Amino acid sequence: MANAGIPRRAPLTARAAGLVACHECGRVHPLGFTTCLRCGAALSSRDPFSLQKVWAWWLVGLMVYIPANLYPMLVTTSLGKTSENTLLGGVIELVHIGSYGVAGIVFFASIMIPIGKMFAIPYLAIKVARPDSRSAHLRHWLFEVVEFIGRWSMVDVFVVAILSSLVQLGGVVSIKPGFAALCFALSVAFTMLAAISFDSRLIWDADKGNAE
Amino acid sequence: MTLPDLPQMDVDPPNPSMFRNLSVVWLVPLLALLISFGVAWKSYSDRGVLITITLPDAAGVTARDTVLKFREVVIGNVESVRFAPDFKNVVVSARIDRTVADILPADAEFWVVQPNVSASGVTGLSTVLSGVYIEGAFIPTSGSTARNFLGLPTPPMVRPGREGTTITLRSDDGSHLPKGGPVLFHGIEVGRLDVPRLSTDGDSALVEAFINAPYDKFLTTATRFWNTSGFSVKLGPDGINMSVASLGSLLNGGVAFDTTFTGGQAIAGETVFTLFPDETAARQSIYTKIGDNALAMAVIFDGSVNGLQAGAPVEYLGLRVGQVTGISAFIDTDAAGKDTVKVRAAIEVDPQALGLDADTGEDETLSFLQDAVAKGMRARLTTTSLFSSALKIELVDLPDEPATVLTKDDDDIPILPSVASNLPDFTATAEGVFKRINALPIEDVMDHAVSLMASIEAVASSDGVQKTPDALVKLLNDAQALVNSEDTQALPGEIRGVVDGLNKILADLQQQQAVNKLVSVLENADKTASDLANASKDFPALVADLRDVAGKAKALKAEDLIASATQVLDTANALIGTDAAKALPADLSQALAEIQAALQELREGGAVANTNAALAAAKDAANAVSAATGDLPKITSDIEDVIAKANALVASYGPNSAFNTKTLDLLRELQAAAKAITQLAKSIERKPNSLLIGR
Repeated sequence: MANAGIPRRAPLTARAAGLVACHECGRVHPLGFTTCLRCGAALSSRDPFSLQKVWAWWLVGLMVYIPANLYPMLVTTSLGKTSENTLLGGVIELVHIGSYGVAGIVFFASIMIPIGKMFAIPYLAIKVARPDSRSAHLRHWLFEVVEFIGRWSMVDVFVVAILSSLVQLGGVVSIKPGFAALCFALSVAFTMLAAISFDSRLIWDADKGNAE
Repeated sequence: MTLPDLPQMDVDPPNPSMFRNLSVVWLVPLLALLISFGVAWKSYSDRGVLITITLPDAAGVTARDTVLKFREVVIGNVESVRFAPDFKNVVVSARIDRTVADILPADAEFWVVQPNVSASGVTGLSTVLSGVYIEGAFIPTSGSTARNFLGLPTPPMVRPGREGTTITLRSDDGSHLPKGGPVLFHGIEVGRLDVPRLSTDGDSALVEAFINAPYDKFLTTATRFWNTSGFSVKLGPDGINMSVASLGSLLNGGVAFDTTFTGGQAIAGETVFTLFPDETAARQSIYTKIGDNALAMAVIFDGSVNGLQAGAPVEYLGLRVGQVTGISAFIDTDAAGKDTVKVRAAIEVDPQALGLDADTGEDETLSFLQDAVAKGMRARLTTTSLFSSALKIELVDLPDEPATVLTKDDDDIPILPSVASNLPDFTATAEGVFKRINALPIEDVMDHAVSLMASIEAVASSDGVQKTPDALVKLLNDAQALVNSEDTQALPGEIRGVVDGLNKILADLQQQQAVNKLVSVLENADKTASDLANASKDFPALVADLRDVAGKAKALKAEDLIASATQVLDTANALIGTDAAKALPADLSQALAEIQAALQELREGGAVANTNAALAAAKDAANAVSAATGDLPKITSDIEDVIAKANALVASYGPNSAFNTKTLDLLRELQAAAKAITQLAKSIERKPNSLLIGR
């Protein structure tokens, strides 16, 4: 083990090694290159605007998440009577009619996950600025989870889209997506953008700074 | 292995400019913020205006779901339903379109539309599925700031802004005036009734009626309204009249109107029409409406006014000039201190109907009537028609009445002097008429007619009449023998000439058949002839009787008509049955015997002078018969005339009543009898001698 004698320190980063990897094709260049020799993409050791992008997308996602919860998700018209269901209202209704399993899934996918993301993303961004080495591993894991799970939040939107295209029986029953469906889809999209914008290498830097 | 000692890369120090460090991504939340604010502002500015509607109850109204509509277009929806502070009403808060709120006047009407099924139709059916909604109606008024409204418990009859005319109907009885009842014009529903209410003075029911445009242009001062509720069956001089309006009005009641005479003027402003109980009454009220300038008067009657009702007409020269507005009794103490109950009928008289100007004042009308009373105008009770016990007040000019003047009572109401009425006429009710018709001896008449015909037949077929020809042949044979006899031929030239004449007459008689032969022969024919003359004297009487009958029939005196007809038939019967007529054949036989005797005498010579005289007498007799038979066609035509008149009379009772059928049957019998008489008369005319010889 060549490194066995090296005292414990933060993991070596490309930047610390004086290298920069191309984000697009992965070719490693020495620091100082601004364009990739292989694919011509712009090279940057750290995205200087990463956190700004995260905060901006997160803010927009949060903004549209509010109407997504206040406005009706589904507009059901049955025999001339129109009922509107918000996200939480739908869950409560499901509980009332005894479909606890479905209620749990909807609650988890439509409420828990988005709200969790809403907290997780700022947490990660804040921790970059105020590093805390003890949670470095947790933050990496959290980032992975947020990035992976973001797309699954779209399940709710898909349900609405499928229902409203299938249940169109004229005056008997018809389901239309409410305003909240649009907002929710946007919210999911924006939080995913926020997650993608997060430059996970910043977590390393923060750890390193913390270790030094 | 150690890490290569790589030169430390100079990392650009952070740009001191804060803005240059900002990512363009910040534009996204900025944009989202702008959009949010824009949407928020727009939804705030578009947000409806909150109004409150106070309703007696909120049947079916639910927050958020119930919408407000104006002309069937949604203008907002209910936000909340709560009680009024005193819990007597329900306050519905609704948010309505801002543009609508700006034109919503304070008198806008709101009501809850619910499904309603009634005899006159189904309304609000759509609310069965979609739930109730609140309908509003108003005349858009810009710049309105009213926000609190009083809702109606039921839909209004007339929605504000609806084209049409509202009129008021005045009726004595509001029980057949349901809310929402139809107003029909020529059977077409053109309007609706509102809820009937009592007039402020409490003496009539008033109901507002709304006539939709463009039908309201048919409303003129000549328009009359009447009640069409249910169906009415009337028996009157016009016969039986049954009328049924639409099913809706049958169940629900309703009114109809029509223009009853030409020359009405368009109505203007609030107009009160009198609602007549039926179409007939409405159409008969050809006088214009009792105007505001109608003169209130009173008439005092001593006797019973049973049959006189409020609303009964006051007529002058057969024209309606006013009506009775009320009847009351009072105790009159005369000079001797004796109390008598008298009846006071309050009437109102329309100056226009009297021929005065439509805007004549009360004073002028009064002075006109004062003059009229001074000249003998009096009020009198009469029946409205033969078939009605209802009374009306008739103003009559009786110049012979003791002079009097128009007085005024304590209340300053002019008292029109009255005269005693033709009370026996009061009994001429329809019932009485029918009783009398029932009591008519129709069977007797028919019996008489039958027996008349039987008598005529008996005369015609009697043995004596039948025997006559044999005797006649014998007579002629004898006469021939006489003429041919030598004795006769040996007669002096004068006698021969006479006999020649006789021969010629006989030849004529042979040509013209028996009667002339008979009458030209014998002295005893004189007796026969005089009998016939007696008989013929009765014919003019018969004619006169029939004329009398005709005249009486014209005067509608059915009873007398039948009596007279009976009498006529009796007379005819008597005529046929007279001894003279019955004795006729016997007389003829006797006459023939005598002729034979006379011929015998002739044969024996002499008595030619007698023959001459006999011939003259026989000619006279023949003339008398001729004159008598000449009257027969006239009798026939008179009978036919009677029947035609009676027919017309009966036809006026209207078709198909049992009474008519029976009467018509009777008249047909009479007609048949008359035809038989005519035929008899015609055959007598054609063969006058048949009376004598029975053929």
